[in-house]
Amino acid sequence: MAKVVVKDLHKSYGDNEVLKGLNLEVEDNEVVCMIGPSGSGKSTFLRCLNDLEVPTKGQIVISGYDLSDKGTNINLVRENIGMVFQHFNLFPHLSVLQNITLAPVQLGKESKTEAEKTARHLLDTVGLADKADAMPKSLSGGQKQRVAIARALAMKPKIMLFDEPTSALDPEMVGDVLDVMKRLAADGMTMVVVTHEMGFAKEVADRVVFMADGLIQETGKPKDIFENPQSPRLQDFLQKVINV
Amino acid sequence: MKKWQVAVVMLLAAVGSWFSLNTHAQAKTYTIATDTTFAPFEFQAKGGKYKGIDIDILKAIAKKEHINYKLKAISFGAAVQQLSANQVDGVIAGMNITAERKKTFDFSNAYYTSGVVMAVAKDSKIKKFSQLKGKTVALKTGTAGAAYAKSIQSKYGFKIKYFNDSNNMYNDVKVGNSAACFEDYPVMSYGIKNGIALKIVSKQYAAGDYGFAVKKGKNAALLKKFNAGLKAIKADGTYKKIVNKYLKSSEASLTGETASSRTFVGLFTQNLGTIGSGLWMTLELTVISIILATILGLILGVLGVMPGKIGPAISSTIIYLFRGMPLMVLAFFIYIGFPDLIGHGFKIPAFVAGMITLMLNEGAYTGAFVKGGFQAVDDGQMEAARSLGLPYWTAMRKVIMPQGIRIMIPSFINQFIITLKDTSILSVIGIVELTQTGTLIIARNFEGFKIWLMIAIIYLIIITLLTWLSNWVQRRIN
Ligand SMILES: Nc1ncnc2c1ncn2[C@@H]1O[C@H](COP(=O)(O)OP(=O)(O)OP(=O)(O)O)[C@@H](O)[C@H]1O
Ligand SMILES: [Mg+2]
Repeated sequence: MAKVVVKDLHKSYGDNEVLKGLNLEVEDNEVVCMIGPSGSGKSTFLRCLNDLEVPTKGQIVISGYDLSDKGTNINLVRENIGMVFQHFNLFPHLSVLQNITLAPVQLGKESKTEAEKTARHLLDTVGLADKADAMPKSLSGGQKQRVAIARALAMKPKIMLFDEPTSALDPEMVGDVLDVMKRLAADGMTMVVVTHEMGFAKEVADRVVFMADGLIQETGKPKDIFENPQSPRLQDFLQKVINV
Repeated sequence: MKKWQVAVVMLLAAVGSWFSLNTHAQAKTYTIATDTTFAPFEFQAKGGKYKGIDIDILKAIAKKEHINYKLKAISFGAAVQQLSANQVDGVIAGMNITAERKKTFDFSNAYYTSGVVMAVAKDSKIKKFSQLKGKTVALKTGTAGAAYAKSIQSKYGFKIKYFNDSNNMYNDVKVGNSAACFEDYPVMSYGIKNGIALKIVSKQYAAGDYGFAVKKGKNAALLKKFNAGLKAIKADGTYKKIVNKYLKSSEASLTGETASSRTFVGLFTQNLGTIGSGLWMTLELTVISIILATILGLILGVLGVMPGKIGPAISSTIIYLFRGMPLMVLAFFIYIGFPDLIGHGFKIPAFVAGMITLMLNEGAYTGAFVKGGFQAVDDGQMEAARSLGLPYWTAMRKVIMPQGIRIMIPSFINQFIITLKDTSILSVIGIVELTQTGTLIIARNFEGFKIWLMIAIIYLIIITLLTWLSNWVQRRIN
C-alpha cells in the first residue's frame, strides 16, 4: 500500500468549505510538490495529514495508520511524520541542541547523550555544526529553518511535510534550505512539499499537484505540469507565477 | 514524584490535619469572644495582652466557677456574628441587653449599667441635639450609642456615618468630618481622660445593661455559672475593685507606658513585640497564600487553555466568581457563612479561613493572567511540539508553560504585592495581622498618626524587599 492514502477529504470551517473532496496517494520515496493559489487549501490539507486539523469527512491512512480511527494513537503517527512550518516555530526558550533533542528524549526514543550525538550529527548535515549552543533568536531565518528541519529529522520520521519552508526567508537564504531538502529527497525520504519555488518543484518533484478552490485540479510529472498544462486554471496560475 | 510535587502534597496534608485538629478539639474549653477596641471594657495593653473591665470580670468569675476558657479578641461586629454562627461559645464585649438581641441570644444578669452620651470636638459650639440638624453624626456599628442616635435621627434631622472602630469614630469627630458621636459614658470618659480631644456635652441617655451573651438555647450551663460567679464577686468586693481600677485611673498606669514612650522611636520600641507578631502573621499569611494562589492560578490557567469546552468553562466560572466577589465578603462568607451552612458546630480557624479567602481571590486573579500568558504564546509553538509527537501535557509543560510563565513574571510580582496588602482586609475576621496590630495599639494610646506612619513604613519596606527579590528571580530566569 502507498505510504499516504487520502480519500474524499473534506474540511469546513463553519460554512466555509475549504477542502471539497481530495484524493491523493503518495508512494514510498516519492517527492510530491503541491502548488496553487493562495487560499486554495494547501496548508489545510497538509495539516490534516498529521491531525493538526481534523477533517470533516473522508479518510487518511498513513503508513497503515487510519487517522479517522478513534483507536489510533495520534502521537505514534506523528512520530513518523516530520513537519516543517513556514515560520519555523523553533522553541525560543531552548538552545538549538535542546530544540532538537527535546522530543526524542521526552518520548524515550534515545537517552540524552545519544540524542545529543544524533543532534550534532544532524546539525552537521544541515551545515550548522557550530550553532549547537546558540539560542534561536541569534540565528538568521535560513539557519532557523535548517534547525527546524534537523529537529523534525531527529525523530527519524518516515515522511516529511513542508509548508512553504522558504517563503518567509530572504532570497539569499532560500538556496541553503532548498539544498538541504534536495539532499533529503536524494536520500529517499518520502516528502510532501507545499511550495512557491517552481524551480525546486521542476528539479526535485516526482509529481506535482496543482490545487485550486479546495480541489486537486491537475496532477502529473513536473515536465507535463509546467510545459503542458491542461486546465485553464493551471495555465492561468502558471502565467501569473512566471510573470512575477 | 518530583521535589515540588512532594512539597505540594505535604503542604496540603499539613493544612488538612490542622483543619481537622481545630474542628474536633476543645470539648471543655469555652471560646469567649470580646471586642478589641472598647476601653475601658477591653483593650490591648503593652505586650499584646488584653485588659479591661470585661476581661477582668470574666477572669474573676471563671476562677470562682472553674470555667476553662480561651479569649478571642475580634471586632464587636464579628464577635456577635460568630456567636450567632456558633463559632464561639459566648461574647463579653460591653454588649447591651436589647429585646432585639434576646431573639438570638440568651443573656446573663446585667453586670454593668451604662448610659449613652454625645461627644463633640473640644472647640465645637454644639451643645444640644437640635444643633445637629443637617450635620453628620459618627456612630460605631452595633453599639447602644448607635441605637440611641438612630432613634432620635428623624426628630433632629442629622445624617449618620458608621464606623467599625471607636478610634476611627473619635477621629472623624476630632478632624471635623462629623459633628458629634454617641458613645457609652464609661468608654467616652476613659478615652477623654487618656487624651482624646473631645468633650462630653450631654447627660446620659437610654441607660442600658451590659450582659454576657450565649447563643439562644445553647450553653445554658455556662450562663448559669456566669450568673453565680457574678453574684459571688459582687458579694466579696472583687467586682467593685475591678470597676474602680479602670474608671479611676489613666491609661498609662494600666498599660505600663510612660510619657517618654510617646515619641516615634519610643512608641516603636514599646510596641515592638506587638508589631512584630502582627508582622509575622502578615508574612505567614502572605507567603502561604501566595503559594496556594499560585498553584490554584496555574491550574485555572491550564484549564482555561485546554482543548474542549469543559476545562475553559470551569476555569472562567471560578475566575468570574472569586474575582468578582469583594475580598471582605468572601472572608465573611468562608469564616461565618460557610460553617453556618454546614452546621453541626463545624468551625474553621480564622487563619485557615483567611488563607482560603486569599487563595481563592488571588488565585482567580492569577488564573486570569496565567491563562492570558499561555494564550500569548504563539499557536505555532503547540503545533510544532505536537507535530513532533509530544503528547498534549508534555508539550504544555516543556514548551508552552516555560514561555508563558516568562511573559507572566511582571504580573506575578504585582500579584504578590497585592496579596501582601490584601492580608490587611482579613482583620475583619479577627486575624491580628500588621494592620490590626496598628488598630489595637491606637485603641489604647490614641497615637494615630505615629502608629499608622510606622505601619505604612513597615509595609513599604516589605514591598521593597519583595520587589527586589522578584526582580532578582526575573533576572535569573531571563
Ligand atoms: N483555522 C481556520 N479557521 C477558519 N478558516 C480557516 C482556518 N484556517 C484556514 N482557513 C481558511 O481556509 C482557506 C484555506 O486556507 P489555507 O491556509 O489552507 O490556504 P493555502 O492554500 O495554504 O494558502 P497560502 O498559499 O496563502 O498559504 C482560507 O480561505 C482560510 O481563510
Ligand atoms: Mg498556506
